[in-house]
Amino acid sequence: MAFIFSKENRKVVKRQISGFWYEFKRKKIGVVGLAILLFFVGMAVFASVLTPYDPINKERLAQDLAMPELMRIFPQYANYPTTRNMAPSWATEKGVEFVQSSGKRITLQYTTTALVTTDVEFRYKFSYQEIPPNTFYTGFRYQASNVKNLQYTISYSLITPENKSWLLWTRADIKVDWSETVSIDSKEPFLVTRLLGEPQINLANAIFAQKGDYILKVLMRFKPQSTDARVDVTAGDSTFTILGMVHGVLGTDDVGADLWSQLVYGSQISLVIGLTAAAVGVSIGTIVGVVAGYAGGAVDEILMRLVDILLVLPFLPLLLTLVFLYGKNIMYIVLFIAIFGWQGLARMVRSQILSLRETAFVECARAAGGSKFYIMRKHLIPNVFPIVFPTLVLSIPSAILFEASLSFLGFGDPRVPTWGKMLQYAFGFGAFTRLAWWWILPPGLAITGLCLGFVFMGHSFDEILNPRLRRRR
Amino acid sequence: MMRDYLIKRIVISLVILWIVATLNFVIFQVLSPIRPENVILNVDFTPEVRASLANIWGLNDTIVGRYTKYVGNMFTWNFGYSFQSLAPVAEEMAWRLPTTVLLLGSALILEILVGIPLGILAASRRGSKIDVFTIGSGLFTWGVPTFFIQLLFMLFFSYFFFITFGFKVFPERGIYSTPPPTDPIMFIADVAWHLSMPVLTLVVASFGSWALYTRSLLLDALTQDYIVTARAKGLTERTVLYRHAFRSTLPPVVTMMTLAIPGIVGGAVITEWIFTIPGIGRWYLNSMLAADYPVVQAVLFIYAVLTIFANLVADILYGVLDPRVRVGVRR
Repeated sequence: MAFIFSKENRKVVKRQISGFWYEFKRKKIGVVGLAILLFFVGMAVFASVLTPYDPINKERLAQDLAMPELMRIFPQYANYPTTRNMAPSWATEKGVEFVQSSGKRITLQYTTTALVTTDVEFRYKFSYQEIPPNTFYTGFRYQASNVKNLQYTISYSLITPENKSWLLWTRADIKVDWSETVSIDSKEPFLVTRLLGEPQINLANAIFAQKGDYILKVLMRFKPQSTDARVDVTAGDSTFTILGMVHGVLGTDDVGADLWSQLVYGSQISLVIGLTAAAVGVSIGTIVGVVAGYAGGAVDEILMRLVDILLVLPFLPLLLTLVFLYGKNIMYIVLFIAIFGWQGLARMVRSQILSLRETAFVECARAAGGSKFYIMRKHLIPNVFPIVFPTLVLSIPSAILFEASLSFLGFGDPRVPTWGKMLQYAFGFGAFTRLAWWWILPPGLAITGLCLGFVFMGHSFDEILNPRLRRRR
Repeated sequence: MMRDYLIKRIVISLVILWIVATLNFVIFQVLSPIRPENVILNVDFTPEVRASLANIWGLNDTIVGRYTKYVGNMFTWNFGYSFQSLAPVAEEMAWRLPTTVLLLGSALILEILVGIPLGILAASRRGSKIDVFTIGSGLFTWGVPTFFIQLLFMLFFSYFFFITFGFKVFPERGIYSTPPPTDPIMFIADVAWHLSMPVLTLVVASFGSWALYTRSLLLDALTQDYIVTARAKGLTERTVLYRHAFRSTLPPVVTMMTLAIPGIVGGAVITEWIFTIPGIGRWYLNSMLAADYPVVQAVLFIYAVLTIFANLVADILYGVLDPRVRVGVRR
């Protein structure tokens, strides 16, 4: 692009650009397009500021298909709770003499000389004032070491305000050193069946039926077998999470992962794919068009037949097949979209070059001894710019749409978050049967918005740069 | 002259077809990381079965032998047997084709019936609300993913209505109810009911491009000198618009229509995927996922044949409709 930066041209280009900008400002639709584009660029650039969550390694942040938090402005959802994370701090209830420390981390040393079963009990009290939740999960870790001559039992239960005790987990009569990370999920069918008799009933709903103070209880029961029994126990890292029924800006998907982060990071991929594929495709198209038009003869014939071949292949089916065969890799996807997206432009550029070739100024340049390459670079390429530039802008949305279609059909790169993939998951994992509009609408509207932004801009560029259209205005 | 031109075109078309067939062969049988022999030959087969299967699909030949046989088969309309169903590809295609043609054909006809009149109306009333709507719908076509419109329709007309009111305005899958109605009239009505949402969404997603295209062609025509002459002759605006301006836009419009026809058979992969329609597009996708090469190659090849044929027809029609480009006619 040396011709842009040569000294005498810099002024001309500067003037052209400011003139272009002056006209562009007057195109309402173009300015709207630019604003939309800037919005999404901002989203892409500040993605990490806008959301703390990772869109690929999904975390369970709220219940599945939790609504957006904003839905609480409607009275019927007003009392839907958000996710509540607790890190229980344990208070010793029984067996104080053995406990060395309690709180977030429990350490105790049990030694005895008497053959008496002893209980050590810890409690954590919290209050729950919301409507019954859908899911909770909890967990803790313990380690028993130096076990000597005794059996111990550890149990974990939850006591409701009505004093009903739900035994969530127990490990009975262990005789050896043991360590374990316990995790309990209220949706786990065995647990639900054990506690309620039927796997279909919602356990979290049944347990947290009342508002009031709930107590989590860890009970350790030691049964000495002989007179010098002992054990050291450490326990802690406990969590208790009641998954929210509303979450964040856009709610959650089928695994309870944040959708807003998927949407925000999706903008990066769409922009990158759109810009790269369009830039590569348009470059190929321009070069092929200029070369074919100016060289003529056999070169022209071969290039145009190449265009014909590419035009008779069905684009999307072929694209799907290539991606399927050669790997779901974002690089390949961009490349394939670019390779199949330049034929129309090449034809347009070629016909423009054919008429330019006969103009007086090109003939002058040729007569003055300009080489073919010089004439292409200096006279032809700058003069097809009015065709190329709007086409560039208009190929971006089509590249974005093709990538979205690929992702929607499950042919996207699994390592990147894309809007098409969000829609694929929404379609495949139950967003429709539960009318989870917050999962379906945002990615689709984002694709539409970004593409329309580019289309609006391209349309305005076309009106400004393409004199034929301008005359009509 | 016309005949020479046609012969030249046909020869070029055949060369292009040959290249497409070669590309097919290279992509699926030479460069492909998934070998076709691995798809059909299971390790559990006995050696005899393996040998006979390999023979049936001609996998024992050298690459050159396979290639010549392959190209010959393609040109003689012999697409071999599907790996999945073990039935001839042509047979499999024959019963799927009507569904796809019905779906996309009716969508195309409706698009044209809505789009072109809208384009004419917009061009004849520049700056009016209809004009703005036409431009808007044209740009909309460029920017909105068709599958998103389809998902929205499905969400609203099938799921929302079913969950809220207990019935579906349009069913969300298939082309007829299970079990299908026995009465032929009811059956046709049932199929129409099932196809209405896919067709409607396709029309919504693409009538704009027809409208915008017609509008810009017509506006171009309306600036020509012969229109000024026609108006000066005192012809009514209606006559000017339809007999003079619209007549001159027919060649490119008809070309567009002709070129849209191969798309009918190429199938709407995504539409058929979303609405679970057993047509060519869905078949293509499923075959591809199962590495069923004979099917994939056949669909690509047939699409190419149809496109080339449509191009040829478009060229001839262009000559018929536009005397200026009639080859070899000396005036």
